[in-house]
Amino acid sequence: MIAYKFLNTGGRGVFTRFSWPLPDGGPGEWVDARIVPCRSGIHACRLSDLPLWVGREMYEIELDGEVLDEPTKVVASRGRLLRRVTSWDGDARDAYTRMCADRAHELAASVSPPLDEWDAVVEPSVPEGPALLGFVAARIAEELSCAGGYRTERGRQTEWLVERLGLTPA
Amino acid sequence: MAESADHVSCQEVVELVTDYLEGALPGDRTALFEQHLNFCEGCVWYVDELRTTVSRLGEIREEHVPPDTRERLLRAFRDWNRS
Repeated sequence: MIAYKFLNTGGRGVFTRFSWPLPDGGPGEWVDARIVPCRSGIHACRLSDLPLWVGREMYEIELDGEVLDEPTKVVASRGRLLRRVTSWDGDARDAYTRMCADRAHELAASVSPPLDEWDAVVEPSVPEGPALLGFVAARIAEELSCAGGYRTERGRQTEWLVERLGLTPA
Repeated sequence: MAESADHVSCQEVVELVTDYLEGALPGDRTALFEQHLNFCEGCVWYVDELRTTVSRLGEIREEHVPPDTRERLLRAFRDWNRS
């Protein structure tokens, strides 16, 4: 199965700080891990999970062995990084952040009276980057139409990422 | 704010952090907890500080505590319910 994985600079795991074997003219080495969801195992994103885990570096990852579908990720017993998704660069991160900020403003202004308190947090959040702005836009959507709004907004963000980054649905 | 199935708040991070560090949080809550850490620098800092504190305190053995400090700690805990 092909999925995606966000890592910190230099290919380090965001939560585990594990140093991933990076692709270098070919796939990185296989990494094996016993599956215990949210504890151990190779955690990765389906396309629909991407906005929830947006990070610094993005890689395409091949998963093998046992693969569990979790609500917001997949967990596998082995995986290897195939390539870095180079289209997820500084410009793309900035553009995604701006798209989410603009969308958050749009949502906050879409009701009467407008959600001024929510709108006020948008611009100060921009320097914090794409993950926070994606959350802010989704939270405002949730404020307007409950959980359905949150998930719909995350779906919009997925569509943006898939199109901008040229990702192919598995 | 009511508990959401889609995210946790900073307040909930504070409430859940001990379970998270002990690996006692259910999988679905762990996922939401980590999604929050993915965008909230303040909570990352908080969790890291707590992780460091727990790690350091775990290294302290009874014989490392000076006698006067040990006595003051015992007195403080003895008097806890009296104040």
